[in-house]
Order: sequence, then structure tokens, then C-alpha cells
Amino acid sequence: MSVTSASAEVATAALAGEGLDEHGIRYKLLHTWRGRFGIGVLGLFLFLAVFGSLIAPDDPNASSLDVLASPSFAHPLGTTEQGADVFSQLLVGARVSIVVGFAAAFISAVLGSTVGLVGGYFGGWTDRLLDGLENWFLVIPTLPLMIVLARLLDPSLGVLIVVIGFTSWAGTGRIVRAQVFTLRERAFVERARALGAKDSYIIRTHILPNTMPLIFANTVLIVAVAILSEAALAFLGLGDPTRISWGTMLENAFNSGAPSAGAWWYVIPPGLCITLLVLAVSLLGYLFEEHVNPRLREANA
Amino acid sequence: MSALIEVSDLRVTYGAQPIVDGVDLTIERGEALGLAGESGCGKTTTALALMKLLPASLKQSGEIVLHPPKSDEPINVHKRTEAGMRMIRWRHISLIFQGAMNSLDPVQRVDAQIAEAIRLHAMGGGSEAVQARIDELLATVGLTSALGHRYPHELSGGQRQRVMIALALACSPSLVIADEPTTALDVVMQAQVLRLLERLREELGLALILISHDLGVLAETCDRIAIMYAGRIVESGPVGAVFDDPQHPYTRRLLDSLPVIGGERGVAPPILGQPPDPGDPPGGCAFHPRCPYAKERCSAEQPDLRQLAPRHQSACHFAPWSEWPTVETSVVGIDTAVAGEEGP
Amino acid sequence: MSGRWLAGKAGAAMLTLIFVIIFNFFLFRVMGDPTTQLARLPNSSPEEIEKLRADYGIDKPLSGQFLDYAGDTVRLDFGVSQRSREEVWDEMKAALPWTLLLVGTGTVLATLIGSWMGVIAATRRGKKTDDSLLGFSLLTYAAPEYWIGIILILVFAVAAPILPAGQQVTPGVEFSSWISEALSVAEHMILPVTAMTLMLLGQYFLIMRSSMVDVLTEDFITVKRAIGLSHEQVIRRHAVPNALLPLVTLSAIQFGAVVGGAITIETVFSWPGLGELSFNAINDKDFPVLAGTFLVFSAGVILANLAADILYFFLDPRVQAR
Repeated sequence: MSVTSASAEVATAALAGEGLDEHGIRYKLLHTWRGRFGIGVLGLFLFLAVFGSLIAPDDPNASSLDVLASPSFAHPLGTTEQGADVFSQLLVGARVSIVVGFAAAFISAVLGSTVGLVGGYFGGWTDRLLDGLENWFLVIPTLPLMIVLARLLDPSLGVLIVVIGFTSWAGTGRIVRAQVFTLRERAFVERARALGAKDSYIIRTHILPNTMPLIFANTVLIVAVAILSEAALAFLGLGDPTRISWGTMLENAFNSGAPSAGAWWYVIPPGLCITLLVLAVSLLGYLFEEHVNPRLREANA
Repeated sequence: MSALIEVSDLRVTYGAQPIVDGVDLTIERGEALGLAGESGCGKTTTALALMKLLPASLKQSGEIVLHPPKSDEPINVHKRTEAGMRMIRWRHISLIFQGAMNSLDPVQRVDAQIAEAIRLHAMGGGSEAVQARIDELLATVGLTSALGHRYPHELSGGQRQRVMIALALACSPSLVIADEPTTALDVVMQAQVLRLLERLREELGLALILISHDLGVLAETCDRIAIMYAGRIVESGPVGAVFDDPQHPYTRRLLDSLPVIGGERGVAPPILGQPPDPGDPPGGCAFHPRCPYAKERCSAEQPDLRQLAPRHQSACHFAPWSEWPTVETSVVGIDTAVAGEEGP
Repeated sequence: MSGRWLAGKAGAAMLTLIFVIIFNFFLFRVMGDPTTQLARLPNSSPEEIEKLRADYGIDKPLSGQFLDYAGDTVRLDFGVSQRSREEVWDEMKAALPWTLLLVGTGTVLATLIGSWMGVIAATRRGKKTDDSLLGFSLLTYAAPEYWIGIILILVFAVAAPILPAGQQVTPGVEFSSWISEALSVAEHMILPVTAMTLMLLGQYFLIMRSSMVDVLTEDFITVKRAIGLSHEQVIRRHAVPNALLPLVTLSAIQFGAVVGGAITIETVFSWPGLGELSFNAINDKDFPVLAGTFLVFSAGVILANLAADILYFFLDPRVQAR
């Protein structure tokens, strides 16, 4: 489930609207259906991530004898194989997806940008080495890698965040490196160097500010990838056993035979939430990418 | 000489914006007409409109009547359906694009591309006859049949341009439209291509519409020239007459901006300002904001194309111009005053 | 010359694979000492553990261990499954064809359907059809493929029981001929392949659409129309062939995702491939199997990338000029 820069470009170009170029990012966020949907849905799930456990009607971990019951007044989305309230679990599950998604994406952004900056700026053997590392991570299938690492380290929320972040950075790295390459040759960098500025200064004041928007836009898309990754790992049994997430809900549902029992109320909602959240984040990510990348916008004109 | 193609009141709009704003053209058999003007004046659009090749977002109106040499039946191009157009295209009118870099399908061999055109209009016969015709066409433009078997990227820019010419001749059309055929070439190749076009014109009796922003090229090759500005023809006439005795300020300024070897030293006066935005055209004469001779009438009333001499027309309120008042320009090229007479 | 280019690509692929082996070695030998995992099994005596340590060569220095490991890998000795005590390679060998069947069919269908959708969207760019197709592809990307699989089971195997809910053949049935067995496999393939195809569809669609949009702006398309070809002829004969070329290389970015999908979808449908093998190994903490499948998955993706490069080389006349 890896989104590289190439496919993001393709998707962004495809989804870009027309005639929005004159407007700032605020307009695009607030006045397009993509922006509104993205902000609305993301906002909702952020709210649930914080307050989900408070507004949940029942204790999501409470078991009862009312096992795999179909929806009723008491349980609007029915019960789990343990007799717990599905709706409450759904509300609480938002937290893991949001936390892991954003935290892992942050780690990925930091790692990727650092590698891209260092390699892109200093060039030479450092860059060759880092580029080789980057390419390796890009080729290797991500889910098997994450499985291997997560299993070895015994899964918990922290482990998941680190593992996902550690395996998703290469896409960002490649974008940053390309950007740094072009910036490095630009006149204002040469001038700064001629004036005797140190590398750290140049990176801090010239290179980084011109790369941050790109990193930001790309990281939003990585959040979507991270959410999907956490859900997949949880489904396969590598989620944090102490927490409820949408992925673990699907895992439990599947392992306890909910599909065969026809327990659609247990099976459909968690996946739907994942889909909606990923959809919202992706739409926002493509919006940012299109706004940030002038070349993409030109291609759509 | 009889007319080959007659165009009346050709208009092309993009939504409400006019791109081509009422163009009349007549081209005789075997005649070479030059179409000149800045980028965006509508030259290429006019050419594509003649073959009804414009994208669906552009609306086209006006009459286009073709009189093919070997037939008595005139073809009303403007009335033809898309299916009907497919029979006319290439068979009667063909096209050479600027910079043949991307004019040929990269994954198709050159001879296959020529064969495709031949077969489409059932001009060939059996595969041997088609191959013979391809070789003949390639030889006409100075290429070997071995080159024909290659892919476009294996040929040089000049060779590809010549392939395009061979392709354009494949179905023996009576009119060829060449859109900036020499722009992407160096001067030597440019001369070669122009000479080739002239030779072909003579040998095959081809009519030619040559589109270019390079007045020198047009002067060399064309019999008549039409100057376009903001989607309209502002002056047209025999090449010699127009260049020696221009009757429109735009033409005058274009000619002034050409440096002349052996002429006066100094900065060639540029035409200041920008071509008009089709979405927001200036009132009256489209050129008046940039015209050093403009008067009040020019911003109020749009001038029609008027006959000045038997075949010389101009769309200026104050034509005919017997002499042009000198325009003073400072070093940075800002018009300071119009010295001399006030108007003709 | 072409030979050198090919050798370069093959060399790079080999190097990548070697690093996978090195990675595996460090991960499983250095970080996860297998004897500690073994020690969790009942019935292992201290002597057994000592013997296994010697077998695994843990008493040797690191470089020696690595050479042993590399040598074993080359000889396809991936050790023994901790759960089943079978040779890991034997288990993987039996599972591989099933995964290839699932992934191969899914990829082929996704490429065909996705490309076809992409051409339609590109030729109707900006209109409703285009928007709907774009929305659809975004949905299939956002929806987890295993969830789609479960829904397929709910609808087609439980609610309206017309298709089997899992496994590759109906268990316990004696097949009269290989044809009837093949038919049973085909029947069992329908749902998992549908899930896999839906998952991969979106990416192929986007790539083809983008590629077509680019091609349609080229001058030669106008020239082909000027020659007298109809819209459909131009698209079919000239636009699509040119648009297909980038599809070959760009679709290589999907190969990693394909593997991920194989794992989760096989789990949902109890499809006896490498994915299901991995899933069981996760639950059993069966590290030899996990290491083995990771290597095989990686090798698969690396090979697929190489194949895409080679295919592109033969398809694009411009590349061969190098």
C-alpha cells in the first residue's frame, strides 16, 4: 500500500479542478466540495479521537451474553462476539487510527526530509548511499516488511507508529531530494555561498522554507497510507492488543466468524469509517499537492 | 486562374470570446498566400478551421467553398458533416505543422504513416503500388526509402520536416497549409525547405497557405500576403505591394521593426504594448491602443476591410496612406509625439 | 548497447535482493535469536536448545554466521517451520502457485479494466463520466481490500449463497477429472479475484488516464485527424498504443501493494497461498516462515520490476536506440 510521488502526481493531476489557480489555499479548502468534505470528515474523526470515549454510550470493552446481536435500540449497531456495543467501539476506535496515522506520518516526514535534504544538498557518495537506501525501501513490499518488524518487536501503539513511520519515508525522501537538487543550483543559493554562508545556514534559511510546502502536502497523503497500514496490520493480528481500533474490530469480527453469521452491522461500519477517513485525508492531500506544485497546475490549464 | 477556395466571414469563438473575427479569403489555384501576424492573432486557428479540425470547445461559422481542380462540383466545406470532412481532408487540403518533432507518431515507422494516408483515401492500389508511391514521395523531398523504414526519432529535425512534406503531398491535394514550417529549423534548413516548397508548387501546381510570423520568409515565397491582427485581416494584397507600400499602421510598424542591412543605425522601433486579450477587446479598431497614428474615430468605430487598389485591401480609417508621418521614439522606445502632418 | 543496459538492470536487481538477505539475516539472527523463540515451545530441553544453537551456528562469529545464512538461502534452505516442523521451502513451494494464480489473474483483469476505464475518462475529460470514474477509483483506493472481501462474502456467500466463502476448492470432494477440479477452483477464485481486481483497478485507471491525456495533446494526434481518420480510429490506432508505454513502467509502483493485498485477501478467503502462510506464521510467531516469505515476496517484486523494465525496452523503439 505504498503511494510514491509518481502515483500521487498522477492522482493529483487527475483530481485537480479547473479554474482554481487564482485562489489561495483557504478558498480551495472552504469552497470546493473536496475541501469541504475533507475538512468536515477529518474534523469529525478528530473530534471522535479526542472525545470518543466520553460520548460512547457503553463501555466498549464490556462483554455481555448478548453476542453478535443485530441492531436494536440499546445497541444501534448491534453487538460484537463478546457482546460489547459495536457503536461504542466504533467511536473509540477513531483514536488509534488518527494517532497512528498522524504520528507515523510525522516520523516518516522527518526521516524522509532529512535523508532527502542531506543527500540532495551534499551530493557525492553520501547521496549515492542514501539514494540507494531510498530505492531499496521503495522497491521492497511494505506490508511484509512491516509485518516482519512488528512481529519481532511485539506490537503496541508505539511499535506500530515507529514501524509504519520507518517504512514509509522513502517517497518523501525522493521528492525532497529532487526539490533540493533544483534549489541547490538556483542563483540565491550560489550567492549565499559566495558570501560565505555556512551549509547549515543555507539549508535552514533557503532550502528548507522552499521545501516545506512540498513536504507538508506529501505528508498529508502519507497519513492516509499510515491509516491503511495500521488497519491492515491490526486486521492481521498485529494491532495493539490493549486498544480498540477499527482494524482490530475487523480482525475480531473476521476471526469470530461474523461474516458467516451474517453480522453485517459488525463488519461494515469499521471498514466504512476507515474508507471515509482515508478518503477525506486523501482529498485534502491532493488539494495541497496541487496547490503547492505549480507544474501540476500548469499541466491542468 | 480560377478560385480554389473561397472563405467568407469565417468566425471562431471560444464561448463568447472571438478568436477569428470575420475573415474573408480567396486563394487561386497554384497561388501562395502568406498569413502573417503575432502569436495569438488567429492564424493557426484560421488554418485549422479550413479543415474543420478545431476542438469541440471552439465554435466555427462562415462559408468555406472549395473548387477542386478536376471537378465542376464545388464542395461546401462548411456544410459537410464530420464523416464528409474525412473524405476531403488530406485529399484536397493537407497540413504541415510547425516543428515536426511531435507531428509523427513515435511508435510507427515513417513509411507506414505515409501508407496510412494513401490507403485511407484509396489512392494506392496494391501494396506494391503503395510502396512505389511512398518511395516516389520520399524521393521528391530528397529522402531515401531506407530512411522511410525508420522510426521518427531516428531522423533529424530537417529530415522529419521533409517527411511531413512528403506526407502532406501523399494524396495529391490542391492546397497545402504550412503552419510555421521553418520556425524550428536553422537558417540553412529553412532555406532548403522553402526552396523545396517552391519547387513542389511549380511542379505540382499546388496552392499554398504559408503561416509565419517571419516576414522575410513570407516575402520570399508568397504571391500574396494577408496580415492578421486580433482575429481579423487588417491588410492584404500582393507581396510586393504590401511590403513596398503598406497601407495599415500595423503593417508599417511590423516592417519598421525589421532591421535592414545597410540601413540606418539605431534601435529598431518596437511595437509597444501587448496584443489584445480576446476576452476584453478594445473598442473600435483593435489596434488603436498601440497605434501611433490613432485618432478619436479609431476607438469608437471598427474599420472595415476596404479595397484600395485592384487587389490591395486595408482595414484602416485613414487608408490610403501616401506617406507615413515619422514617429519619434526615445531610446527606451516610448512614443513621444507624432511629428509632421496630422493624418493623410 | 542494449546488452549493457540489461546487465545493469539485472545487476541492480541482484544487489537489491542481496540486501534483502542481509536485512533478513540481521533481523532474525541478530535481533531475534531463534533459540529464544524455540525455548517457548513445550518439550524443548536444554540439550535440544544447545544442539539447535550449534545447528544455527550461533556460536560462530557474525561473518561466519552470515555466510552460512547466505549459503543456506542460495540452496533454498530456509529452515524449518516452527509450527509444522516442515521445511519452510516446501511449504512455500506449495503455496506459491496459488498466490501467483490469484495475483496474476487480478493484475491482468485490473490492467484491462483499468486501462479501458482510463481511455474512456481521458476522452471524456472533465465531464460527468470522468468525474464518476475518478471518484470510483478514489473509493477503491480508500477502502481496505480485506473489508471489500468480507463484504463480498457477506453478499455473495452468506446473504445469497451463490459463491463459496473461502478456500480454493470445496473441501472433502473427490473430483472425477482435472477439469471438474479446475472448475471448482475457478468458482472459488471469483470472490478473491474480484477483491484483488477492485483494489488494483484505481491505480491502473489513473495512470492510463493521465497517459492518454498527455498523448492527446501531442501534435501527431491532430495530424492523424487531419489525414482523415475518425476520432475512434485515432484513439484506437495511435493514442492508446502510445499511452500504453508509460503504463508498463508506472504500474511497477503497484507491485508492492499487490503483495500486501495478496496477504490480506488470502487471509480473508483462506486461500492457500503465501499470504495465508504468512498470516498463520504471524499468529504462531513462526519466524523462519516469516523470513522466508519476506524474501520470496521481495524477490517477486524485484523480479516483476525487472520484467517491467525489460518489457518496456522491447516495446519502445526509442529506448532501443540507447
